[in-house]
Amino acid sequence: MNVPAYAQHSKMAFPMLFMLAWRNLWRHRRRTLITLSSIAFGFGLAVLFIGIGDGSHNSMIRNAIKMGEGHLTVQPSGYVESPANYKFIDNGHELMERLEALGIRGTVEPRIALQVLASTASNSVGAALQGFDTTRDQRNSMIRPNLVQGAWITADDPRGIVIGAGMAGKLKAKIGSKVVLMAGKRGGDSEAQLGRVRGIFDSSIEEMDDYLVLSNLHFARYFLVAEGASEEAGPVTRFALFLDDPESMEQWKGVIASSVASREVVVLDWQEMMPQLVQFIVVDDAGNYVFLLLILMMVVFGIVNTVLMSVLERTREFGLLRALGISRRHLLTLVFCESLLMSLLAIGLGWLVGGSIHLWGSIYGIDFSSMMEEGTQIMGTFMDPVVYTELSWNRVIQLTAAIFSATLASGIYPAVKASRILPVEALRT
Amino acid sequence: MALLGLENISKTYQQGEVEVQALHHVSFEVQEGEFAALVGPSGSGKTTLLNIIGGLDSPSQGSAHLNGTDIAGLGEAELSDFRLFQIGFIFQAYNLVPVLTAMENVELVMVLQGLSASDRQQRAEHYLELVGLKALMHRRPAALSGGQQQRVAVARALAAGPRLVLADEPTANLDSENATALLDIMHRLSHEEKTTFIFSTHDPRVMDRAERIITLHDGTIISDEYHHTHEQQT
Repeated sequence: MNVPAYAQHSKMAFPMLFMLAWRNLWRHRRRTLITLSSIAFGFGLAVLFIGIGDGSHNSMIRNAIKMGEGHLTVQPSGYVESPANYKFIDNGHELMERLEALGIRGTVEPRIALQVLASTASNSVGAALQGFDTTRDQRNSMIRPNLVQGAWITADDPRGIVIGAGMAGKLKAKIGSKVVLMAGKRGGDSEAQLGRVRGIFDSSIEEMDDYLVLSNLHFARYFLVAEGASEEAGPVTRFALFLDDPESMEQWKGVIASSVASREVVVLDWQEMMPQLVQFIVVDDAGNYVFLLLILMMVVFGIVNTVLMSVLERTREFGLLRALGISRRHLLTLVFCESLLMSLLAIGLGWLVGGSIHLWGSIYGIDFSSMMEEGTQIMGTFMDPVVYTELSWNRVIQLTAAIFSATLASGIYPAVKASRILPVEALRT
Repeated sequence: MALLGLENISKTYQQGEVEVQALHHVSFEVQEGEFAALVGPSGSGKTTLLNIIGGLDSPSQGSAHLNGTDIAGLGEAELSDFRLFQIGFIFQAYNLVPVLTAMENVELVMVLQGLSASDRQQRAEHYLELVGLKALMHRRPAALSGGQQQRVAVARALAAGPRLVLADEPTANLDSENATALLDIMHRLSHEEKTTFIFSTHDPRVMDRAERIITLHDGTIISDEYHHTHEQQT
């Protein structure tokens, strides 16, 4: 048989290298399975913890948005930096019409929020007066179910207020009690209005129960009129916008800003309205990342151990391959392929384990109520005691990329070590 | 022109603080198609000389040329390609990749050479048939005897179409029957394929098959003679 006319350079034969790598991986089946299981278990834990973290954060965000000022808030410029009762939107009716004309998919709720002093004959406490549309505001569905005494406020009640159980206790107020609400005015004067307690709620959130005074818009507007606003123009301190699709927030923010924003009025999203909550989530996320880092380190050491041991065991075999004409590049690729395959298997198995745990957690939720004896309130919002794990596609990509990079990086050292084997020395072993 | 030319090859190793002279001014030529044995006791420098000829080791002094290529002048990557295309190796033991079948082991070098799948399969089957192992070609090394594994190594060395096959004590781990059978196969294929063989041995039965015997002692050639083999006499 004639010798073929070979090209004089070796070819990078990926299919063969992958086949060799795959078979090498299963030489020590038990060792590979133990390594894969530990990676998958670690990955499953990471998925669970990140899922719980995201689930609880999203729960807090949803509750904060619901209890707070919506996904987007239209309010006077400079209010966040320096809140004051005299900062209000004078032409509320006109702005409401403009906002409604935009066809926002969601609800627009006019609100009046004021800092007041609430007093009875027994005591005085600082309070936040919240005037809202008693027929359609989110607060109707949020707080009304927590009413423990009396009745809910109505739109035509000129003096009716609802207070929290904490405040009722401090003021020694009961249903029907008179409460004087006094607000500071620009220039140093003050405006006082008499409210009558119609109902008492208990939300179990201290910040609400101790400080919130709820009224209809009409009652709260007395204070704005005292600041010089025209009642006919429908003055409010802000509009809270609740979007049907939270993902469209940025888009609507732009649309609304270009339509109504001016020197006097700004459009803010919930992150700008609640920077402390954002900060809390960032810090909490950092904790999760540290945990993820520990898991990645476990993964890296697991793979380095397995692949390096397998490289050291095969020193003579690598010497033989080098003698036969396999280049350093080929050997490096071969060992790297082993890590790559290990990494792909680990990710597959990891998602199987982590994904199953996540699926279970997202359907049935994880009940943390026994661990939350002191309540579930955090940063002015609250976390549902049953956390449903959540994983966005971004998280899936992030987690996969992190494990994939870690496993690949862990293959570098054994691959380089294998490629540096000198055939003449290796064949002597 | 000779296929292989060694000129004044010396090799010195540093073993701790001791300098060991493994080869001392070795010079000889090998013509195409020769079936030559390097003989001598353990430590005489046979393996070192084969390693230098095969580009696995470099001489401390002197030059080695194969088919006009100065082996010592090749860089790391070039040496890999040189071994891949020019040299076939048969070692004493553990010659095969354990996770590959006999067929895949024979194909391995040809894959790197860039042969098409059909070409290399055809060649691998052909050479496995020549060494009498076609029926066992799908077995992995663990399912083959020592003698069969060495025959696979012979098939692999020849299938890649090298200019020179180097065999370092190929029969050292084989019993007499298998050693004789392997030598017969190597000798026959050397003639049929017109491939040059240089093998090291200190086994007199193996020496008897060689057409040329180069004897080394303490790194120096003490004799270099052609003789009629057992087959040629009969």
